[in-house]
Amino acid sequence: MAEPSKGLLRAQEIYQDRSRRALELQKQGKKVVGYLCIYPVLEMMTALDIVPYRIFGDMREPITKADSYIPAVNCPFLRSCLDLGLKEKYSFLDGIVTTHICDVGSSLSGIWNYTVRTPFSFHIDTPHTLHETSLEQERGLLEDYQKALEDLTGQKMTKERLQEAVRVHNEQRALVRELYELKKQDPPLISGVETIRVIKAIQSIPVDEGNKLLREVIDEVKERNDGPQKKSARLLVWGSILDDTALPEMIEGLDANVVMDDTCVGSRAYFGDVELTNDPLDGLSHHYLVDIKCPRTFRTRDYTDVRKDYMTDLAVRFSYLRDYVRDWKADGVIMESVRYCDTHGYDVPGVRDYLDSVGIPSIYLEHDYTEGALAPLRTRVQGFLEIIE
Amino acid sequence: MVRIYFAGIDLGSTMTKIVIINDDEQILAYVVHHTGAEHRHLANRVMEEGLAEASLSIDDISFVMATGYGRINVPFADRQITELSCHARGVASFFPNVRLAIDIGGQDAKGLKIRDGKLLDFVMSDKCAAGTGRFLEVIAAALGIEVEDLGGISLRSKQKVSVSSTCTVFAQQEVVNHLSAGVPLEDVVAGLHDAMASRTARMVQRLKVEPDVVFTGGVAKNAGVVKALEENLRCPVLVPEEPLLSGALGAALLGKEHVLKALARGETIQTGERRLDRATFFEKE
Repeated sequence: MAEPSKGLLRAQEIYQDRSRRALELQKQGKKVVGYLCIYPVLEMMTALDIVPYRIFGDMREPITKADSYIPAVNCPFLRSCLDLGLKEKYSFLDGIVTTHICDVGSSLSGIWNYTVRTPFSFHIDTPHTLHETSLEQERGLLEDYQKALEDLTGQKMTKERLQEAVRVHNEQRALVRELYELKKQDPPLISGVETIRVIKAIQSIPVDEGNKLLREVIDEVKERNDGPQKKSARLLVWGSILDDTALPEMIEGLDANVVMDDTCVGSRAYFGDVELTNDPLDGLSHHYLVDIKCPRTFRTRDYTDVRKDYMTDLAVRFSYLRDYVRDWKADGVIMESVRYCDTHGYDVPGVRDYLDSVGIPSIYLEHDYTEGALAPLRTRVQGFLEIIE
Repeated sequence: MVRIYFAGIDLGSTMTKIVIINDDEQILAYVVHHTGAEHRHLANRVMEEGLAEASLSIDDISFVMATGYGRINVPFADRQITELSCHARGVASFFPNVRLAIDIGGQDAKGLKIRDGKLLDFVMSDKCAAGTGRFLEVIAAALGIEVEDLGGISLRSKQKVSVSSTCTVFAQQEVVNHLSAGVPLEDVVAGLHDAMASRTARMVQRLKVEPDVVFTGGVAKNAGVVKALEENLRCPVLVPEEPLLSGALGAALLGKEHVLKALARGETIQTGERRLDRATFFEKE
């Protein structure tokens, strides 16, 4: 029997055939639960030995069925997810967990239940603000979520099991950060394209297997001499979901390396640990609501302090991007968003104003979540590179 | 004295342009052709014509810079650079004080923020044909008139009508409605130009409109759109004598700068064997 592949090759195999491992585990009796976005608390699935399996769209597959349920003037990523569900690409799932990502994302959970009919479903109505009451609400929602998962598995989610799950997921976060450290070198030891493959792979397999894969990738990448070439520009990509390598492939096909990102198939879910609190739900609710910096959460608590000063407000919300740019020595930022993503779209002027204020060049690209539509953006990216040269 | 020559080729979606300059930046030849359905296959023919006009051979050219949509498929180009940088450079050579350049071509519109001849920022229209040369072509065809005549017709307008949409399909419908209601043709055409100019003005607003504002591209040949743009931007709009050439000229000038920089670093320019082959966009070699 051939030796199972490791490291980057294994990540690429999972990227290309995501459900294979989940289906194997399901045959062994494990439950596989799909989730949308990075907000469904994965530690709680892991604690009950559920395989969390992130639901993605497919920008290479035309949307043909979902338009009957979600009009075409809505997020094409979420429409694509539903389309794949309607085409039975997710029919193997034992359950699905959704959160109130945005209005379309929230509506999708109901539509999914009516149309795709995955046996188990749970919707976490994650608040969008950071008030004390929001934290209480999030914590209460997680208690309901816990009960739902216990009913699904027939097992008790003890404090010890949950604490252990938090520990293993924190280990994953640390490993991802270790991998990103290797992108600080010039040229980076791992490309933007390879990074997406790795992150998408670990979001398709159980956390302990993901940690093993990350360790292999880190060891391999540290020793490699076939890594990315040195290019004129080092870029940070900020924005909405990038679950396909097409966009970084286009960017890295030009004279630039993607050395850092702030997207949810990238660093966003992994920068910052969950605090190991006595009651794990306290640390978890705080992490998922407060620590993850996604535009879907309005950081109003910060805003209340500085509401009279736009630039200070921007600095509070986006200074972490300046730190990324400094630490990863990026020459500029590409802001990207799928069309009709209001969540990211509304933050674009603020991010741009902030980056302008600290002298970091940026460009905004909006795309249709189709591979072919990326080609015209090539001129914009190349023009941007010519400006920052 | 040995002269050095540079060529810039701009393969646009609608027009293919070439400019040949010498080291004094004098234009020795320029050629403008419809790109047509055969698209990028014309590049070598346009180059041959340009060389003939300048009485040069391809081996006399030190550096060929390609730009435009088809830039990556020119077999005899030494380097490619975007039309954004090339337009900025070309426009600045005509108008050194330019701060905002607007280029409306066959299938897109661009706004370029320029300071001291350098491109600082840009905006581009989306993949829709609204507000581009194609929009005017479709409307002219629907009206049964030549696109070149639209400008003159609109200047006769006494009271332009409002055309609410710049969607090529819906605007066509609106035009028919206006004409059947008895609105004079010139007022309808002036309304169309205004709709187009207002869309462009909104697009470039982010770059801050400051004089000199320069307008290039095929649509800049339409005096009606120039006038409408001046009204919408509330400032004079300058148009070069040949508004189609800024991209190709900019490419040639940037080619020259590239060569001079390389020579200053003590490098030799390796241009390789140059063949005037057909572009290879459709047939992969």
